[in-house]
Amino acid sequence: MRVIRACRDMGIATVAVYSECDRTARHVRMADEAMAIGGNPATESYLRIATIVDAARMSGADAVHPGYGFLAENDAFAAACQQANLTFIGPTADAITLMGSKTAARRTALAAGVPVVPGTADPLTADVPLSVIDDVARSIGYPIMIKAVAGGGGKGMRVVERADDLAGAVRAARSEAAAAFGDSSIYLERRLSRPRHIEVQILADHHGRVLPFVERECSVQRRHQKVIEETPSPAVSPSLRVRLATAAAAVASSAGYTNAGTIEFLLDEDGAFYFLEMNTRIQVEHPITEMVTGVDLVQWQIRIARGEPLTISPGALLTPLGHAIECRIYAEDPDYGFLPSPGRITSLRTPGGPGIRDDGWVEKGTEVTTFYDSLLSKLIAWGIDRTEAISRMRRALTEYEVAGIRTTVPFFHWMLAHPVFVDGRVHTGFLDEVLQNRPAESQEGVDLSLAEVASVMACLARVSAAGMAQGEASPRPPISPRPAARTWKQQGRLEGLRG
Amino acid sequence: MFQVEAGGTRRTIDVQRAGDGWSIAVDGRVTSASVSQMEGRWSLLYGGRDEKGPRRSYDVVLEPRHRSHQLIHVDGRVVTVRFLDEARRSRGTAATEAGVREIVAPMPGRIVKVLVKAGDSVAAHQGLVVVEAMKMENELRAPRNGTVASVRVTEGMSVEANAVLVVVE
Repeated sequence: MRVIRACRDMGIATVAVYSECDRTARHVRMADEAMAIGGNPATESYLRIATIVDAARMSGADAVHPGYGFLAENDAFAAACQQANLTFIGPTADAITLMGSKTAARRTALAAGVPVVPGTADPLTADVPLSVIDDVARSIGYPIMIKAVAGGGGKGMRVVERADDLAGAVRAARSEAAAAFGDSSIYLERRLSRPRHIEVQILADHHGRVLPFVERECSVQRRHQKVIEETPSPAVSPSLRVRLATAAAAVASSAGYTNAGTIEFLLDEDGAFYFLEMNTRIQVEHPITEMVTGVDLVQWQIRIARGEPLTISPGALLTPLGHAIECRIYAEDPDYGFLPSPGRITSLRTPGGPGIRDDGWVEKGTEVTTFYDSLLSKLIAWGIDRTEAISRMRRALTEYEVAGIRTTVPFFHWMLAHPVFVDGRVHTGFLDEVLQNRPAESQEGVDLSLAEVASVMACLARVSAAGMAQGEASPRPPISPRPAARTWKQQGRLEGLRG
Repeated sequence: MFQVEAGGTRRTIDVQRAGDGWSIAVDGRVTSASVSQMEGRWSLLYGGRDEKGPRRSYDVVLEPRHRSHQLIHVDGRVVTVRFLDEARRSRGTAATEAGVREIVAPMPGRIVKVLVKAGDSVAAHQGLVVVEAMKMENELRAPRNGTVASVRVTEGMSVEANAVLVVVE
């Protein structure tokens, strides 16, 4: 939908592809044309390179935008598009291959003069014996991180505090990496104690120009998955911003990178920063950058793919206007360990008003399945400063109402009011730490008066028509204009039962 | 007259028709209310200053009621309301007191580990059972201090969504 919107803004026609259960999905109805590509599991539809390329050819499309999931960082897909004379809206297959290998990416950063987190330079493939890994780990120094060479999204990642735990962690990381990426190669990195996750968006055209943007901070993570992103980072000074931007541009240039990408860094407590990895796609959190710079990143992806030179003034990109925050609204139950909460959305109201952008796809009646990622929406708040952005986000969250399934909205009520977040003193381990102490049955943002109102409403529902509690299911008007008889009768019945 | 619990507070609530609106008694304190429905959504004017003055306005959506609890959206916040008398009546025993909690499976899954047995004292946040669903293991914890009244599952068992796993009193 984000891509369709950008295309429509530019007067470009769009063709959506869909799996069986997505037949009526919003992106299908929104696009100019749509084509079926297979069954519900992504491996039978959205991950099928040949089918998608065929669909693109048959539709007569000129270009393919891979979005930010599924095949967005797949070099074979980029290459297949190229072979089919379709413009791939993203970097070249070679650049994806290079930066997709975490160890090759680290070497690229070093070659560009950008520091990396101390660790192994080469992949530790499946045949490397544990004794060798043990030596490497000792030379780096504990605690260490084990990561998948082909990794992403926190899969195949393990923290090892002591040498005793190494063998088990290596085994777990390898099997997870093999299952997720078909490659059990791992590498080791020193684990910084309380780093912040800082990343720099870049755009690079086909004329050798690389433009870095103001940084995004994504330190609020749950199990290595970003939950809240903001820009600019409260921890980055103007001079550090310039150094980060320069380093990011150097990495992108060194990789021969084109189109949109993101260079991720860890910022240590002492102010030193290290290259972490590069994302070779547009990211989920790109809207916050758009909010503070006024640049439509997806439109620029398309322009760059068409061969247009970047004509944005570079200075403005490092002097953001105001502050933006994004909350990822998932169909997950924060009271049950963030387990997916599939089901039908029975009622939906999305927020609006000053500074609010809601990039969501669900509607009333949408069936949220477990086939795909359960991200429902990205709620973005902009303010002239961080305080106003937080206030607006908290206000927008009170307007956000999703019934029928559980969402992470209540969690954000709690997080946005958390003193550590409000003070901007977060690090990548912060959320997992504080979640330990979050009540199992939390009622975030529910003060006494709200609890009382809910209690009263529940009772009103019970006493008036029986159908009222069932929402719209009842054909009867739930609160009767002549309620006395039924109300009293029901009350009497309840009293009798209770007595 | 209802015994309900929400936000950690137990209330006795009585609602009566009063003219065009309602008279609401919460723990004996009487307030007036006005309710209007609009396609699955409710506008509640409740409390506030005095009889003639403005009343507080709330925007409410009710979800379908479960056996003994209901989710209520108030101004975008989700509140769980429990009917204590309902819970008691449905089991036909006086033993189930305020704050009885049924720990239910959030979605279909498999019981990996049962960490408690009936009669155990448990502290709030203490792990009760580990459920595997969507290839992830999740520990379901005690919502408050109490005693394990019953354990309805065994290790290795498959459970449906909303199946009661453990009851804590």
